[in-house]
Amino acid sequence: MSPWGFVFLAYGIVWAALLLYLFRLKRRLHKVEVELSDLRSSGDLKRDA
Amino acid sequence: MQKGKGRRILGGLALLFVLLGLYFGLIVAPPDGYQGEVQRIMYLHIPSILTAYLSFFIVFVGSCLFLWKREKRDDILAYSAAEIGVLFTGLTIIEGSIWGKPTWGVWWTWDARLTLTAILFLIFVGYLMLRSLIEDEDRGAVCSAVLGIIGFLDIPLIHMSVYWWRTLHQPPSILRPDKMPWENVHPSMLIALSINFVAIILLYFYLLSLRLRLGETEEEVKTLKLYGGVS
Repeated sequence: MSPWGFVFLAYGIVWAALLLYLFRLKRRLHKVEVELSDLRSSGDLKRDA
Repeated sequence: MQKGKGRRILGGLALLFVLLGLYFGLIVAPPDGYQGEVQRIMYLHIPSILTAYLSFFIVFVGSCLFLWKREKRDDILAYSAAEIGVLFTGLTIIEGSIWGKPTWGVWWTWDARLTLTAILFLIFVGYLMLRSLIEDEDRGAVCSAVLGIIGFLDIPLIHMSVYWWRTLHQPPSILRPDKMPWENVHPSMLIALSINFVAIILLYFYLLSLRLRLGETEEEVKTLKLYGGVS
């Protein structure tokens, strides 16, 4: 592998992993925020009833 | 609302510095006289390991505070920092391995610094596993806080390993007791390194703020499920 090949391999793996983690984190956060909002609205319904 | 805006600004700044870092690291900085182009991996390698050290320092502080005051937010802070610290330590090992092949001729060697970094990685993978393996959540938090404190003690060993043992890994380029960074690294390389360091640190705090928000929201969901009402 050429010197630039090693450089691009390292940069590629690092930025791919960081982006993957960022997107996965955002998806996890979105999922739990939806769950929280559902729980809150069902709590409001119970209280109103 | 204010926190969300601050987080978006932090994310935007991180993106700006990441792009600047790529430009300076891959285009502006000159190739090293001895190692040639592969030395450009340094612009990722040093910021990654310093960020991992910072992350485990936050785990250490959060764990000490949790054991002292038993407040859930300190545990969430330590847990969040540990998760991101493991990511940066893993990436440091991968970058080092890719840099090691063209410079040392091997992907891996049982050098003192490399071995101690691998041990640090395994300690904090163990920390994350503890959280999911112990069913009693409070007990899991206490056990992992103790492991987080013990694990942090590996970092001074990693830093001093290149002085205490005859190792293949070079001595530190930046955090040296005998020289200032600009006496040891060429200014054009130091600028590229500094920009990449700022980029990785900004990205780290952006990821940490998201991970903290996730931990806090999960806690709120658990409380609502437990008491079945609105908090």
